[in-house]
Order: sequence, then C-alpha cells, then structure tokens
Amino acid sequence: MNPLLLFGMMVKASLLSFSGMGNVPSLHADLLARGWATNRQFVESLAVGQVSPGPTGLWVVSLGYLVDGLRGALLACAAIVIPPLLVVAIERGFQRVRHLSAVKGFVHGLGLGVVGTFVVVLLQLLHQNRGSSDPRALGFVLAGLLLASLRRVPVALIIGGAAVAGIVMR
Amino acid sequence: MPRMRRIAEPLRGREACMRTESTEPAAAPAHPPVPAQARIWLAVGLQSFGGGMATLALIRRGFVEERSWITEEEFTRFWAICQLAPGINLIAFAILIGRRLGGAAGAAAALAGMLLPSAAITVAMTAAYASIRESAQVKAALSAVIPTTVGIGLATAIKMGAPLIAAGRRGGAVRLAAAILILGGSALALGLLRLPIVLVLAESGLAGALSYVILPSTGSAESEEEV
Repeated sequence: MNPLLLFGMMVKASLLSFSGMGNVPSLHADLLARGWATNRQFVESLAVGQVSPGPTGLWVVSLGYLVDGLRGALLACAAIVIPPLLVVAIERGFQRVRHLSAVKGFVHGLGLGVVGTFVVVLLQLLHQNRGSSDPRALGFVLAGLLLASLRRVPVALIIGGAAVAGIVMR
Repeated sequence: MPRMRRIAEPLRGREACMRTESTEPAAAPAHPPVPAQARIWLAVGLQSFGGGMATLALIRRGFVEERSWITEEEFTRFWAICQLAPGINLIAFAILIGRRLGGAAGAAAALAGMLLPSAAITVAMTAAYASIRESAQVKAALSAVIPTTVGIGLATAIKMGAPLIAAGRRGGAVRLAAAILILGGSALALGLLRLPIVLVLAESGLAGALSYVILPSTGSAESEEEV
C-alpha cells in the first residue's frame, strides 16, 4: 500500500465533503477500487467512529488503522486536519462571494450530491455484507434508522444494544 | 443549505448544547495564555463522548460560559462559517476559535488538544476490536451491528438532506424539483451508471449552480439569503 496515495485519497475525500461522514462515498470508491479496504472494514470503522469520543468524522482514523495499522491512523489524522484549514481563507473571502447565485447553487448542489451518493454507498455496504436479503438485518436497519432519528438515544448505546442483540439472537 | 441557514437562525434545534444564557455587551478581544487554552481543549477532547454535538457543548461551556473568552456572537458566527468549510466542521471550528484567541499557536493548541486524546482513544478501541474481530461472538454481534450502523447512517443522510430539500422548497416549485433531481440523479449516477464519484459530485455542484442561475426563484424574497 502506497502511504502517499492513501493520504491523498483521504485528503481528497475530506476536501469533497462538508461533514464528518461526507467523505464516505469518495473513500469507499477509491479504496475498494484498489482492493485496499473491504466493505466490512468500512462498516466496522463507521461503527467505531460512532462509539468513540470526539467528532464522528474520526471514523476515518479507525479505518486508517484497520487498513494500514498505526501508520494509516496517523495519515488519517493529518488528512482530516488539512481541508478544514481552508476555513481561515473562507472566513476572509466568502463574505464577498456568498451572495452570488452561482456560488449558493454550487454549494447547495454539492450537498445534495453528497447525500445522494452517501445513501447509495450505505445500501452497497448493506448488500455486500449480505444484509439486503435478510429480513432480520433489514429489521436492524429500520431500528437503527428510527432510534437515531429520535435523537434521544445516544448512538453508542444503539450500537451496543445491537451488538448484544446479535449475540443473544445467534 | 444548512450552513447558510444557520447564519440566519443559528441556535434553533441546538438549545440543548448552545443555550443562550446571557447577551452581555462584547468586551475587548481576549488573548489568554496558550497553555491555558490547550488545557481546555484537552478537557474537551477527553470528555466528548457522545458525538459532535457533545463536543460543541463542551467547547461552548469552556470558552463562552465559564470564561467569556469568546462572545456569543463570535461562537455563532464561527460555527456558521464552519458549515462552509470542507471536511469535519468541528475541526474548522477549533481552528477559528484557537486562531482568534492565540493566532497560529492557539490554532495548533486547539487541534492537538481536541484531536489527540479522541484520536488516540479511537485507535485504541479499533486495535482492541481488531484483535477479536474473528471470534464467533464478534461475528454474531457484527451481524446486527452492521445493519444497525447502516440505519444510523441513513438517519444521518436524512438529517443532512432535509435542510437541503427545505432550501429548495423555499425557492419555489421549480427549485424544489431541481433539488430532488440533483439528489436522485447523483444516486443514480453512482449506483446505476457507476460514474466516478468526483465526477458525480462535481456535476451535482455545477447542476446546482446552473439551477440557481437559470431557474427563477418563486419563493419568498428572503429565500435566497437563507439557502
């Protein structure tokens, strides 16, 4: 695995996103194309990111560890810090162009594109992990969706509960 | 867009973590010692179990409520700007607050303090998990955790998408249709046509820009400002 290339993919994914999990589609496409990561590793790291402290965007640090050990985790840490540095320039310059229709439209469209592709990647992850044809798995999808939408139950608790349910129902 | 909307109505839906308790007149900008700042960021990084909103609440408590180093107005304005920055919003937020309090050194202290503890814990949890990931128990647990995580991700996608669709609706029926087309089109372009992701995202952005330039906004006059 070429660490520079891995780093570049992580920076690119972060540059193309506006939130912690917005980098999923791009990384998923790049890493799977090279066979550097599996669908299982993606779901595992997304789950760890939900349970661990700090921004959920740290899921990519977990992914970095799973695919390339400590080096991958350190590369991920560096990669997620670089794109947000642009906020300094944005703070200065954005006030000048934010009123332009084209700028507002671009930001709006990019956000819609991220959401649309994110949903596709989630469904692919489910399918690749043999979950899309299993009614029990679909039940867990629904439960996760509903409980997370309520915003009352901590996400870490939802995942912990699912883990226990999986062991009990084996 | 959610980011722009939060400039207009920054606190709605965040009462739990961003309670407005006082609106004191703005004092002179504070420049506290960097080590003192670093200690607060470290506490934020170590305590912020429970996701990004918990982190935001801790930053607010440390810098606005307990010390008044950052004013209410700055906190809200910084957070709004961060919705426009690429990558993780909280990292951009830490950069802006740190830079405001202590320049480049302040920004570095913010990044290190907030990220190192939580990243280290994330690595430790992943390493612990990796050592047991082939056990039968873990595989059984995963058979439930994977679909549940997908469900949680779908909930996140809905939270990300709802304000974008709402912004389209404020622009009138034509803009709403354009927003839905871009959302569905990007999903189809990746899922069925298997186009490269960068191309799909770039096209989504360009389609959005084009829709704003050529399609009339039939919504309320302020809708453009609130997008």
